Amino acid sequence: MVSEKVQKDPYLDRIRNLKPDQLDSALIPFKQLLDRKTVANLQSCVNCGLCAETCHYYQATGELEAIPAYKLRLVKSLFKKLSTMLGGLKEKPDVTGILDSQIIERWVDSLYGRCTLCGRCALNCTMGINITRLIRMARTTLASIDLVPPELQSTVTTAVEKGNNMGIPREEWIDTLQWLSEELQMEVGDQKALLPVDKPGAKLLYTVNPREPKFFPLSLLATAKIFYAAKERWTVASDYYDVTNYGLYSGNDDEAGLLSSRLRESMVKLGAKALVLGECGHGYNSNRWEAPEWLAAEDRFEVKSIIQIIADYIRQGRIKLDRSRNQKLVTLHDPCNLVRLGGIIEEQRFILNNAVTNFVEMHPNREKNYCCCGGGGQLAMTRYAKRRLEAGKIKADQIRKTGAQVVVAPCHNCIDQLSELNREYDLKVEIKTVSEVVADALVIEKKEK
Amino acid sequence: MSHLDVRGKKIELNEEGFLTDSKQWDKQVAEALAQAAEGIDNLTPEHWMIIEFIRNHYLETNMAPMVRSICKTTGLPLRRIYELFPSGPAKGACKIAGLPKPDGCV
Repeated sequence: MVSEKVQKDPYLDRIRNLKPDQLDSALIPFKQLLDRKTVANLQSCVNCGLCAETCHYYQATGELEAIPAYKLRLVKSLFKKLSTMLGGLKEKPDVTGILDSQIIERWVDSLYGRCTLCGRCALNCTMGINITRLIRMARTTLASIDLVPPELQSTVTTAVEKGNNMGIPREEWIDTLQWLSEELQMEVGDQKALLPVDKPGAKLLYTVNPREPKFFPLSLLATAKIFYAAKERWTVASDYYDVTNYGLYSGNDDEAGLLSSRLRESMVKLGAKALVLGECGHGYNSNRWEAPEWLAAEDRFEVKSIIQIIADYIRQGRIKLDRSRNQKLVTLHDPCNLVRLGGIIEEQRFILNNAVTNFVEMHPNREKNYCCCGGGGQLAMTRYAKRRLEAGKIKADQIRKTGAQVVVAPCHNCIDQLSELNREYDLKVEIKTVSEVVADALVIEKKEK
Repeated sequence: MSHLDVRGKKIELNEEGFLTDSKQWDKQVAEALAQAAEGIDNLTPEHWMIIEFIRNHYLETNMAPMVRSICKTTGLPLRRIYELFPSGPAKGACKIAGLPKPDGCV
């Protein structure tokens, strides 16, 4: 299971040298997470095995360790040692040796290393078990004893310490925004066009994936162009603007909550009406659905995806699109966290039908779509990179079958993985955000002199 | 994990082809990485301008530069950067400049 080359790994050394008190301390958060719903979920698997074929990892490798029911069993076996026959927790369980390094190694390998938390197994479970939740719960348990794979933790730590997950210094973010403002002015022929920073009283506070300003600013420029065309009152924040939240993937709820609370700080500071999440699947799921749980507080403002905002602009006639500017055959990838787990399913299709001439679905699609295999923190966890590319073959095949020249994906994480699949499987496609395709079709009315 | 053989020297790479020890970098290593990562056989002066700027920026700040700084310093337009390094600034240029894999969605 564990190859020789990985054995030199300090992370695995740490696992193998865990002390009994460290192992015992993991039981505390585990037990705290065992609410009635979770217990019911843990006890409901009938071993029908249907989940195996729903998982891209199992499909790609046929390995036992990839089967969702196996992953569930890993979690369940710990629960069983702590519970009575009726499913209640034992008052005084004998915890000696309940967890050991071998068990932890198996957990890490399957629950971090062979899962993207994509939710496809849960959707197809005959018993309706939320397997994804149980796997994340196990990650939370591992996180409590500092066992998040270091490359994944590194992205969380950078976000916690530096305010965004790529550690972009504030002045460089501002400098990039100014540069993009100049580009926007040239593109639309209006000196007043800009990407506003910290503008009080703006209606929308827009959040971005740090990889946009850092390496791929054209997607941010495209969104700015759409806001300009819609005459939107919008702003970005100078400090907390990062839509991502790798705490969702690491399992550490405290860090996840902290990251989501910061976007709320920006909202309060700037007094915006709606928090608008850039094209980021897990950022949407985290900030729209999970954050109120992590923070134990309801939001007093709207939390929306930019996809919903763009669709509204089209419906309300606030932007005009010329489909004939996008003639290539376009297909759409459904990011798991935005679609299956996020519930935004038809808006992006409505947008594409208005923005491109030829749109073709890949199959399966919508909530049944396959994960690109870059989610769940896989993109960060270098140690599992080969598995990620191997399991991504299903996505590559799906794309190839459409014959499309352009793949649109409303998620930067997916886009990075799709770009790798593009090279690995020689797909020869262009990969774009929804904003980029819409910006290409925008009809900008020139300012009257 | 894999290796690059550069003039008899064994250079260790991680699972994604980034140097595991960025100190092992030199120009010959960059050429080998360019071949392995991007299929570039000959690095042009434009490539080198970018690679050297990224490398120096990393040595000074321990971080990859913003693509904005790359454009500003080299005078190259943004789209040219993507043409020169089809895998992008992170998995193309930074990798060839011997940087470790950056944090974030890359």
